[in-house]
Amino acid sequence: MKRKVSGKVIATALTVSLLTTSLTGCTFGFASDPDDPNEVAEEVPIDTSVDTFAYDSSLSGTSITLLNSKAEIQVALEKMSAAYEEKSGVHVEVMPVTDGDSPYTKVVSLYNSGNPPTLAILDTTDVIALAEEKAADLSDEPWTAQAQGYLTEVNGKVCCFPLCIEGRGIIYNKAVIEEALGREFDPASIRTQDGFVALLEELKAAGISRPVSMAKEDWSLGAHHLQYIYELYDGTTAGGQQKIEEIKAGTLDLESYGRLQEFLNMFDILKAYNVAQGDPLGADYDEMAIDLADGKTAFWFNGNWAWPNLAEAGAEESDEYGFLPYFMNNDESDFANSQIQASPSKQVMVDRIVASDKQQAAAKEFLNWIVFSEIGQQMLVKTCNVIPPFHNNPYEPADPLSADIYARVQSGDAFNASVIVPNDHWAVLGAAMQKYLADRSDRSELISAIEEYWAQQN
Amino acid sequence: MKSKNKGKDFCMFGLPGMICFFAVVIVPFLYGVYLTLTDWDGVASTKNFIGLRNFAGVVKDSQFWSSLILTFEYVIVVVLLVNVLAFAIAYLLTRGIKGQNFFRAGFFTPNLIGGIVLGYIWQFVFSRAFVSVGESTGWSLFGISWLSTPGKAFAALVLVTVWQLSGYMILIYVAGFMGLSEDVMEAASIDGASGWTQMTHIIMPLMMSSITICLFLTLSRAFMVYDVNLSLTAGGPYGTTEMAAMHVYEKAFTSRQFGVGQAEALILFLVVALISGLQVYFTKKQEVEA
Amino acid sequence: MKQTTVGGTKRKLMNALAIAVLVIIFIAYMFPFLMVVINSLKQKRDIIKDPFSWLFTIKGLSFDNFVKAFVQMDFLNAFKNSLLVTVSATVLVTLLAAMLAYYIVRNKNKISDLTFALMVASMIIPFQAIMIPLVSIYGGTLNILNHRLTLIFMHTGFSMAMSVFMFHGFIKGNIPIALEEASCIDGCTHMQTFFMIVFPLLKPIISTMVILNSLAFWNDFLLPSLVLTDKKLLTLPLSTYSFYGTYSADYGTIMAGLLLCVIPILVLYVALQKQIIGGVVAGAVK
Repeated sequence: MKRKVSGKVIATALTVSLLTTSLTGCTFGFASDPDDPNEVAEEVPIDTSVDTFAYDSSLSGTSITLLNSKAEIQVALEKMSAAYEEKSGVHVEVMPVTDGDSPYTKVVSLYNSGNPPTLAILDTTDVIALAEEKAADLSDEPWTAQAQGYLTEVNGKVCCFPLCIEGRGIIYNKAVIEEALGREFDPASIRTQDGFVALLEELKAAGISRPVSMAKEDWSLGAHHLQYIYELYDGTTAGGQQKIEEIKAGTLDLESYGRLQEFLNMFDILKAYNVAQGDPLGADYDEMAIDLADGKTAFWFNGNWAWPNLAEAGAEESDEYGFLPYFMNNDESDFANSQIQASPSKQVMVDRIVASDKQQAAAKEFLNWIVFSEIGQQMLVKTCNVIPPFHNNPYEPADPLSADIYARVQSGDAFNASVIVPNDHWAVLGAAMQKYLADRSDRSELISAIEEYWAQQN
Repeated sequence: MKSKNKGKDFCMFGLPGMICFFAVVIVPFLYGVYLTLTDWDGVASTKNFIGLRNFAGVVKDSQFWSSLILTFEYVIVVVLLVNVLAFAIAYLLTRGIKGQNFFRAGFFTPNLIGGIVLGYIWQFVFSRAFVSVGESTGWSLFGISWLSTPGKAFAALVLVTVWQLSGYMILIYVAGFMGLSEDVMEAASIDGASGWTQMTHIIMPLMMSSITICLFLTLSRAFMVYDVNLSLTAGGPYGTTEMAAMHVYEKAFTSRQFGVGQAEALILFLVVALISGLQVYFTKKQEVEA
Repeated sequence: MKQTTVGGTKRKLMNALAIAVLVIIFIAYMFPFLMVVINSLKQKRDIIKDPFSWLFTIKGLSFDNFVKAFVQMDFLNAFKNSLLVTVSATVLVTLLAAMLAYYIVRNKNKISDLTFALMVASMIIPFQAIMIPLVSIYGGTLNILNHRLTLIFMHTGFSMAMSVFMFHGFIKGNIPIALEEASCIDGCTHMQTFFMIVFPLLKPIISTMVILNSLAFWNDFLLPSLVLTDKKLLTLPLSTYSFYGTYSADYGTIMAGLLLCVIPILVLYVALQKQIIGGVVAGAVK
């Protein structure tokens, strides 16, 4: 009997010790570091004094739902919908897509449950898959005039609202490069692949032996790297789409397709200077942000969505970060060597099947409010911290990565090709790229994987 | 229960549970089977009957069959390791050793960690902890992350599954050992029979119903592995560890071939049903009739 | 409960060895959980750079993650929802499954055979395969999603098969029919026999099933995420959604949130341990 009691005591002790670990944490928990990178940034104030937006008062009292698949702006969207409700009387309930669900699965299950969201923030491929069956026609909406160049059409109708622009390229940390080289660094001075290699060699000589981070994740390799072979054909969506059709039809010989070989040359360069070269598939995404912020590396292939990671790793908004293009060759006049890709990444679809006319009208008003009202314009940029795809929005994003993309879009140093590939493109060809990254396959094996993938899509 | 009030007994004892079960599991399942015979993509408002065309798509999907073979290999290793380990640990934990409740609480903890945290912690163990062991010892086994080579990523998957499932099975085996009467255990140890004979001749036969259950549960859970697969390796490196359940899910929702995915799920179900049916049949025959 | 002395020193040695092995395996089992506890007290940067650090040196522990998790999860409300759902579903499934299993064991007929076979088979249906049909039926056709009762009903239905399977095995192996026949002579109704004589004998398996089922309900993510969309109804695992980003996750808060979620289950487990042992002792005394 004694033994039994002592066993019980120990078992309880385990639980109690867990609780006390937490409690002791509490007592010692107030010595927080003033430079704490995790501290939440001061909220940017929104000026609500001016509001010239014409609200339709008949919509007041309507309730709509918004499915959000961009988790990092969930709180911002809730604030935005509250601001809109205060002015218009329309209630917007923001529903998150939770961890473990893909946005598409979530929206499919919601449609099947007879309770679909009035507005859904989705990836472009998802919207295209749903548009014909479910999406309201947005062609006649006033905001479309402000988003020229960023509209997605299905059957000749605008099917969705571009929420934000995202761009990608080779992120640099200017301070690290300047410190290593001991001189000023002008990113615009690098205009060829050779120029980039020379810079890498210089950094290597200066002690940063492997200055590049590249993610092993299939979405990075399969979508963000590999899709350059379509997008960089001539920098337009139509051009990229045409190349895809040719690959599908088997009329384009990939072995001799210049952009593919150029792309692989650049990929090989990144590979050769990869900080995780010994084990490229063991690289950790979160660690890459820390390495770049700390100066262990100088470059990271990624997009402006990486800013929250960099900020957590200690980067400040006043630091100089920006993008280098994905250098394809040594021709200075090739647009690929000076421009980076930037296009709408998240789209908002309006449901036309279940939502009532009033709800659809309220949803459309909400979208126009984001584009035209002074409050909506500010909140899109300052609260959600995204790059607005709307020409009339006067606000500039604050973080250096988005600011660089924004400046490039304004000055024409960005191209907006964004091809539509089947939804499993990144997963299937991402795996083929992983194999290539790990040196377990060669170019011809990779190329046949690409050919085989497209052949199956016919 | 004698046969007097057959109908009443059925209504009171059997019916409520059966209604729940049929309404939630069987009806949707049958509806799902019907969907495999249509061209419905999960979204469209119309469904057209297309016969067995989705199943023809399954036959053509070579990736599905290779993931199924991989799943078989995985299931065999996992079922053996989990049950041997869980049985042994449960046995030790019911021998009245000091602090056995403390131990039991500890062996329960694998059940508490799921989802992204599970993947994160174990990824860390394989890609960082193991690698730092490799750096300090020079052992090539720990030279690079286990998750970046196909063979070791498979081993990692097995290891994590064994860790998680055995935590579960220990509970069931413990309940089984607790159900054995003290007399049997006492008698067994006084008999003077050697430990091994004791185990195989007295304890094992009495534990057969627990063993049947645990074998069945590990078998079906290993076949259905999804969470661990997704959060630990996500099918990688380069798609070499994609198990059948994950492939089915990807087919239906990532490749957007809902009908084919649904048909593959049905085939997977039939395969597992056949195998575990055989297992239950054979182990049940070993059970001691009470 | 005395240790028998047969075998003498050799046996003692074996026991010591067994315990040593057990301790090593135990540490390996506990390790991931300890990592969660340690890292829940750290900032994200330290988690990524140095997840081990506090195994050896304790410095600057911080309770911030717990506070943040507690607030962002709307912990008390989510806790209430989880508790309601878990307790109701666990009680329901334990009762219904025990009764159904008892019926199946004692009545060999076509219906019980078929039901049992279907249940065993149903345990291997991949949930993903019935996910969409399930929401179509309960949402699209019946329109009863977004209620706690629906979730409780579904949890009960989904765990029914395994619970019946477990009770079935236990009743068949451990409950002698002679006991019931005796009570039959005493003039008890079947209900009385079941609740006064059979049910108490099921204690070890009931405790085990309560643990397994409540653990499954408490931690389940997929099913509640399909059934519940109203924020007021979210259960604990659903309420951690805001810690996950598309490209990054807030690990410290996630681990703190995980611990906040699982501590009640751990307490329940330790409490039920007593029941399992109590049940066996009572059985041995009879």
